[in-house]
Amino acid sequence: MKQELLEQFEGYDEIRREIEISRKFGDDFSLEKGQVAEYVNRLHPSLINLRVGKIIEETASTKTLRLMAVNGYLPPFQAGQYISLSVEVDMVRTGRAYSISSSPSQTGYYDITVRRVDNGRVSNFLLDKVKVGDFLQSSGPQGTFHYHPILHQKEIVCLAGGSGITPFMSMIREITDRGLPRTVHLFYGSRTLDDMIFHQELSQLSEQFSSINYIPVIEGPDCEYKGKTGYITAEVIQETLGSLAGKSFFICGPQAMYKFCLPELDKLGINRRKIKQEMFGPPINIWEYQGWPSEIKAEDRFTVRVNGSKSFETNAGEPLLAALEDNGLVVPSLCRSGECSQCRIKLVAGRVFQPEGTPVRKSDRKYGYIHSCVSYPLDNLEILL
Amino acid sequence: MTDYDVIVIGAGNAGLTSAAYLTQKGVKVLVLERHNVPGGSATSFCRGRFEFEVSLHQICGIGTEKAPGPLRNLFERIGVLDKLEFLEMNDLYNFLYLPEKRSITLPPDIGEIAALLQGLFPKEKEAIKAYLELVTKVAYGVISVQYLQDPDASKDKYPEYFKYALKNTQEVLDRFFKDPILKSVLGAYWGYLGVPPDRLGFSDLALMFRAYCDFKPQHFKGGSQALSNAIADAILENGGSIRYNCGAEKIIMKNGAVQGVMTQTGDEITSRFVISNSSKISTYYELMDPEDVPEPIKAELRQTTVAMSSFVLYLGFNAEPRDVGFIESTNFMVGSIDNEMAYKRMKALDINENDFAAISCYDLIDPQFSPPATCQAMALALKYADPWLKVPPAQYADTKYQCAESFLNVLDNFFPNIRNHIEEIEIATPLTFMRYLGTPGGTFYGFDNFIKDSEMFLPNDSKVPGLYNAGCWVGMPGYQPTLESGVRTAKSIVKELNA
Ligand SMILES: Cc1cc2nc3c(=O)[nH]c(=O)nc-3n(C[C@H](O)[C@H](O)[C@H](O)COP(=O)(O)OP(=O)(O)OC[C@H]3O[C@@H](n4cnc5c(N)ncnc54)[C@H](O)[C@@H]3O)c2cc1C
Ligand SMILES: Cc1cc2nc3c(=O)[nH]c(=O)nc-3n(C[C@H](O)[C@H](O)[C@H](O)COP(=O)(O)OP(=O)(O)OC[C@H]3O[C@@H](n4cnc5c(N)ncnc54)[C@H](O)[C@@H]3O)c2cc1C
Ligand code: FES
Repeated sequence: MKQELLEQFEGYDEIRREIEISRKFGDDFSLEKGQVAEYVNRLHPSLINLRVGKIIEETASTKTLRLMAVNGYLPPFQAGQYISLSVEVDMVRTGRAYSISSSPSQTGYYDITVRRVDNGRVSNFLLDKVKVGDFLQSSGPQGTFHYHPILHQKEIVCLAGGSGITPFMSMIREITDRGLPRTVHLFYGSRTLDDMIFHQELSQLSEQFSSINYIPVIEGPDCEYKGKTGYITAEVIQETLGSLAGKSFFICGPQAMYKFCLPELDKLGINRRKIKQEMFGPPINIWEYQGWPSEIKAEDRFTVRVNGSKSFETNAGEPLLAALEDNGLVVPSLCRSGECSQCRIKLVAGRVFQPEGTPVRKSDRKYGYIHSCVSYPLDNLEILL
Repeated sequence: MTDYDVIVIGAGNAGLTSAAYLTQKGVKVLVLERHNVPGGSATSFCRGRFEFEVSLHQICGIGTEKAPGPLRNLFERIGVLDKLEFLEMNDLYNFLYLPEKRSITLPPDIGEIAALLQGLFPKEKEAIKAYLELVTKVAYGVISVQYLQDPDASKDKYPEYFKYALKNTQEVLDRFFKDPILKSVLGAYWGYLGVPPDRLGFSDLALMFRAYCDFKPQHFKGGSQALSNAIADAILENGGSIRYNCGAEKIIMKNGAVQGVMTQTGDEITSRFVISNSSKISTYYELMDPEDVPEPIKAELRQTTVAMSSFVLYLGFNAEPRDVGFIESTNFMVGSIDNEMAYKRMKALDINENDFAAISCYDLIDPQFSPPATCQAMALALKYADPWLKVPPAQYADTKYQCAESFLNVLDNFFPNIRNHIEEIEIATPLTFMRYLGTPGGTFYGFDNFIKDSEMFLPNDSKVPGLYNAGCWVGMPGYQPTLESGVRTAKSIVKELNA
């Protein structure tokens, strides 16, 4: 505004004086350079450089990698959260999520506990190739699979299967380390006793702390085994707990476990919306999902054209994100389970299969954005990264 | 030859509208956005079966088809009008006065407001009439003199405007009214401007109040992300490019003029013009070398202070709005009519009865906002970042939960059923906004909205050839001002390109 107009305002002189004073005594923001990033990185660094400090053999198929920060600082996490490891295997850069199994009170390292997956690209790499002293990169801690004092009761019931024990291990370790006023009933299902990760430690903690109630459920035990056998059924839960009132439910394990256990919890009248469910990666055998078009076979080949230039061929049964990575195109990802939206890309032409219920924003759907980690080509595609 | 005509840093409201406008005019534009979605504050995120609206309570300036506001025209010009569905709200706001558990709902019509308040405060009947007339005159003064730049503007032509514009709001309210609650009801929009009435210029409040009455508070089908996605889509349709997950690291300068931008991955992209939708502080002190920052800008920056951020609860309920206790969509909870107290509370960590807080339930505007038989709400308390910066990282999560608990205790006063129906909850602190917006103090309002730092005294001039700023750091905060800021900036560039 022109000076001569400004001067006509009542109160103009006062404001001029105020400006003068604040210019004299105001903050010099140039001294705060880098501060925003520093504050953010203390809690949520987008990348952590890690070094493998120790490798612990847990079972025949499972190892714990103890990861230290190269710069000495690891951001805090909430027990149950995961990190996304970024690795290069066979010249392909990719990522996988691993829950932190160590306690948040242990600030010197993050433990991740990795179980072998048949033909699994990253699990086999981590178990067979990675040595003490190697460097790895990860995201900051992520995810909402943790105790939330506003949503959850102080008494929680956890259902775990296979490597799904890892987030609960962190939660239990934190409760016992810090003496938190919370109670855990952990049902841990496994095919055999040998296969159970942390069985020793859990048995001990359960004996030592009245707040930890560990209930291993073994599918096919040898005759000596005295504990619960079979699967984690409604009966097993009911028998053990008696009343279900005032308890919150958590579940983490392989996909098959959800298929079995959720209906069991239904039988007990537990509201599904109140069950905290961890993700388990991209759906296995997507072509068996409801809604998958019967005319498309998993091995059908389609062409994907990226940003109007580069193109490659891929299978219908392969998640688009993985296909992009195989072709040297890195799309940032975290959960690889469709939940976090990090791998959001735009579909310009063609059709994909994205399982029903994938939490894609309404307007993202309208404009063709998809979560590439759980999107499968049903057509030749054109996409924009 | 440069790679692009214009590079836009940031896909917030202002960055998006500037790019959409320019691409409509055939200008070759690249937008760089650090995040993986467009919108900045104007965005949403999913938790469970809810898609939470991050920021928008109410947008002003759209108007109706019959009486269009400036934003409707703007949307048409940038090619997104057909992509958007507007949702008009029935009320301006519901004022909840905690100490007396009293509730007054203002309709979005200046005549109806007068009638309602005159009925409730009969002793101040005349004052109410006179005050609302003043609001109108000052608001039209701002529009005629500041925005339309009436060449004949003078104190004589717009006497009320020149007399009251720079006064603080409290002073004006005190001059007209006796009843403290009446003053508080009429001043409640200060929450949208971020500084209490005794520090807020009256022209800002008058303009906002009058404009919300004229154009009606509105929302979007699909929330604010529907707006950002629509504009981003228009940019792509027009041949513009947007790179997500790609922050700008540096504005490249040569001989004191803009040459392009270096991205965080080290790519150097050339252009003669750069529009920065990033904070003014980061534009000059992070993206530029100190020797390139003009002295007048350094002086300007010294005079300003960073605005507040907020503590926000995003709440998903397994019940209909009325079962949770929501009757109006926009509710302001006022615990204290003492400005000093309100300001002090903005600098505290926790939330108590004396905080200025707002809660919006969007399902009362659009029953389909959330899935059937559910609803969502956003509860917000204005907070500066300072105390949060002092929380040790290891205690951050616990502090967050404690503060959420304290906020729920306040909400219990008006919505006694609120806790029973929570299915999802996400808690955002000033540090959360800092993380997602990258702004100093986690603010989404730019600088503190004091009169001395308004556009009247700090015109939006980057003082660097080729560099333009757009957004809440170089004008008023909020949706309408930032959307307009982008287009205004784009227009100056078009002028420059054509020159
Ligand atoms: C939030 C989260 C936390 C996780 N935490 C852990 C953890 O603590 N420890 C851990 O070991 N893993 C964990 N996982 C799983 C992990 O991310 C990988 O999926 C797993 O290591 C397999 O990766 P891969 O590269 O070896 O197999 P891929 O090469 O990706 O897959 C090979 C084949 O195995 C199938 N497959 C993939 N994952 C599994 C699985 N988990 N069970 C059975 N079949 C599978 C695939 O469908 C495919 O057919 C977690 C996953 C998520 C989403
Ligand atoms: C909780 C909340 C409630 C609100 N309620 C309302 C309301 O009801 N009504 C209303 O009108 N307003 C409201 N607002 C305010 C309004 O949302 C903001 O003022 C407005 O959206 C700011 O827009 P902007 O364009 O200035 O900047 P921003 O939204 O901050 O966008 C800036 C963008 O630039 C990006 N960026 C920054 N630096 C870089 C870089 N170096 N490289 C690449 N990208 C970069 C950021 O990632 C961001 O996307 C609210 C805000 C919040 C957070
Ligand atoms: S990586 Fe999380 S949604 Fe795809």
